[in-house]
Amino acid sequence: MLVVEDVWKSFNNKSVLKGVNLEVKEGEVVSLLGPNGAGKTTLLKIVTGILRPDRGKVMINGFNPEDLRARTFIGFCPQEPGLIEDLTGLENMLFYARLQGLDGRKVIGKIKELLKNMGLAMDMNKLVRKYSGGMKKKLSLATTLIHDPKMLILDEPTTGMDPGVRRDVWKIIEEERKSNKAILLATHYMEEAEVLSDRVYIINQGEIVAVGTPEELKSRYAPLSVIEIELYKFPEDIDEAFRGSSLSYTMHENKVRVHSENTEEDIPRLVTLIHEKGGAVRCLNVTKPTLEDVFLRLTGRGLNI
Amino acid sequence: MKWCRVKAFLISGLKTTFRDRASIFWVFLWPIILVLMTAYVFIPPSVGRPLTLDTGVISYDHSETPFNGTTFIEVLRAVEYNGTKLFNVKTYENESLLMDDLVKGKLDVGIIIPEEFGKNITFSQARLKVYVSGSNIYSIQVNKAIISEYLREFSIRTGLKKVEISLRYMNTSYIPSNLTVQGPWGNNSFLEFIHSYMLGLVEPINITIIEKTPEALSTRPAIIGWYVIGALGMMMLYTGFVIGATAVVEEKERGSLDRILSTPTREAEMLMGKTLAGLVILLLSSAAIVFTGVFVIGAKIEWNPLNITDWLVPLNLTLTGLMTIGIGFMLSLIAKTSRGASSMATTLGLLLSFTAGVWFPKEWMPAPVRKLADLFPVTWALDTIRDIVVYNAGLMESSINTVKNLAVTIVILVLGIIAYKKTLRRYAEQ
Repeated sequence: MLVVEDVWKSFNNKSVLKGVNLEVKEGEVVSLLGPNGAGKTTLLKIVTGILRPDRGKVMINGFNPEDLRARTFIGFCPQEPGLIEDLTGLENMLFYARLQGLDGRKVIGKIKELLKNMGLAMDMNKLVRKYSGGMKKKLSLATTLIHDPKMLILDEPTTGMDPGVRRDVWKIIEEERKSNKAILLATHYMEEAEVLSDRVYIINQGEIVAVGTPEELKSRYAPLSVIEIELYKFPEDIDEAFRGSSLSYTMHENKVRVHSENTEEDIPRLVTLIHEKGGAVRCLNVTKPTLEDVFLRLTGRGLNI
Repeated sequence: MKWCRVKAFLISGLKTTFRDRASIFWVFLWPIILVLMTAYVFIPPSVGRPLTLDTGVISYDHSETPFNGTTFIEVLRAVEYNGTKLFNVKTYENESLLMDDLVKGKLDVGIIIPEEFGKNITFSQARLKVYVSGSNIYSIQVNKAIISEYLREFSIRTGLKKVEISLRYMNTSYIPSNLTVQGPWGNNSFLEFIHSYMLGLVEPINITIIEKTPEALSTRPAIIGWYVIGALGMMMLYTGFVIGATAVVEEKERGSLDRILSTPTREAEMLMGKTLAGLVILLLSSAAIVFTGVFVIGAKIEWNPLNITDWLVPLNLTLTGLMTIGIGFMLSLIAKTSRGASSMATTLGLLLSFTAGVWFPKEWMPAPVRKLADLFPVTWALDTIRDIVVYNAGLMESSINTVKNLAVTIVILVLGIIAYKKTLRRYAEQ
């Protein structure tokens, strides 16, 4: 459905995409996983025909995205909801239905059904400015489905959502996959990519650094285990403490995730190092690696950076 | 091009405008307020009627002649022009009180009738001292003109009366009726010669001044009608500019531009939808202004649906709207935010309203500004409308002007479309 070959793009002499290759087939969810500024949105804008690549080729169902016929196959949900705040939910749906060339009167039934599925049926006659952030995201997603596109292109569809709403959106994406749609999902949530994706493209600084199923990526690039250490007292200089261990790690609040190939040797060594530097461990867990660990291993930095 | 896509922008444009209180104010209420203010503040109901001057008079005359200071005051009190009394006379005993009221602006004119005024006007030459007051340079000129003109006319008529009396006396007492004189004037009776000669002494030139104001501008309703068309132009200028200038940037700011560009919508469909929405808003606002003008403040705007020339009025109004939206598209090239675009468009629109002969007549402008007005196509279109509804221009003249306006509108729209597409690309690349 979508083929991206050797796509390059730069803004003001700064390369944003450097020879990106990507493919999405019908009935699969492909995630583009990378931190903010990695080039995900630029790639999606090229795929949707909003931007022209400096070099390379993009084909959607055999058409160049700049060809208006290609755009009839896609439903694009950008990071920002892109809704008109002074229109109601129903009117926004009609607006985007008409842009897809549909007769508003003929699709009204489908619109109401979509809004019902999204849990917005009760609020469809309210002005969008009165919607919560989660409701806006759901409505935005609903507007991309109105013309039943063969391919969905979703840019950070769950950013800023609370966990409950996020799971609702995941459920919708799952259902669309089941109806044989090709789905390209840009996200920086590793859990989202892991749960939804058939394949994951890891992008960093405009380059695809790894491709595979979540399991393949983890087995290929992730460490055998991850030691999760929760601290109740931080060492004086935590970076110096872990540098001494020569292990890669990420930190989030008072938790440290350390990659380990040999937990039996590494655990006592880490506890001693923390202790020597004046820190104290509250608890310690050994878990399986995630895609975030793959990203860390490949790029040397975390996804939230 | 698919109509449903054009309709999407048309409907959303109209609904968002009518749901935004600020837009409602600027597009509908402000022009109506402007028209009402103009009618009641700048063109008050007294416009078109003669002025009545508050006149203070002191008479020191005690002559016992048939015409004296007292009869002069009675004449002042009685004199009317087109049914309006020219002078509201108040007599004073004390000259310093009269001066005080003149300085305070309580009086427009002060007249001092000296001693022996009656005797002098009957037997020799009388004198009058007149003071003119005015709170500003315009009112002092108007007051001076009215009293001067009145006294000049009074003086001449008095002179003519004196000639008539003198001739009657000569005719019956001294000059034989069969006496003739010969000269460059021909061979006349001596009496006729003396009569003509004395009339010439009193009034060497008998001037006839005929006012030729266009009938349409001779009354208050017609003057208001002129300004109602100005209000249409002013509203079109700033609203049309704003609609054009913010068309792309507002989509960018609300995040819908990427969504729109990812659909099979052509730039032309978006452009046409937005232009149509803008045009409908401008024409609805125009209808509200004209309705208020005609039915609330009694503006005289003559439009006859059976007259083909009159149909050029809505056509030129539409062209005016398209021109302003097209210029707005050009302004969008330099706008970075919708707030900035809106401020820039409003400022430019209001500036041009006051300098390009839209609101104030071109004739009031200094020469360089008048040149700007002569070159500004929006003024051409409004002048064509005024020519039809105010000056009753004919079909041929109006048609030629309309064709010229149509050609200019097309050029402006083409330039506007190029600017619009450039702006669209620029925002997509951001």
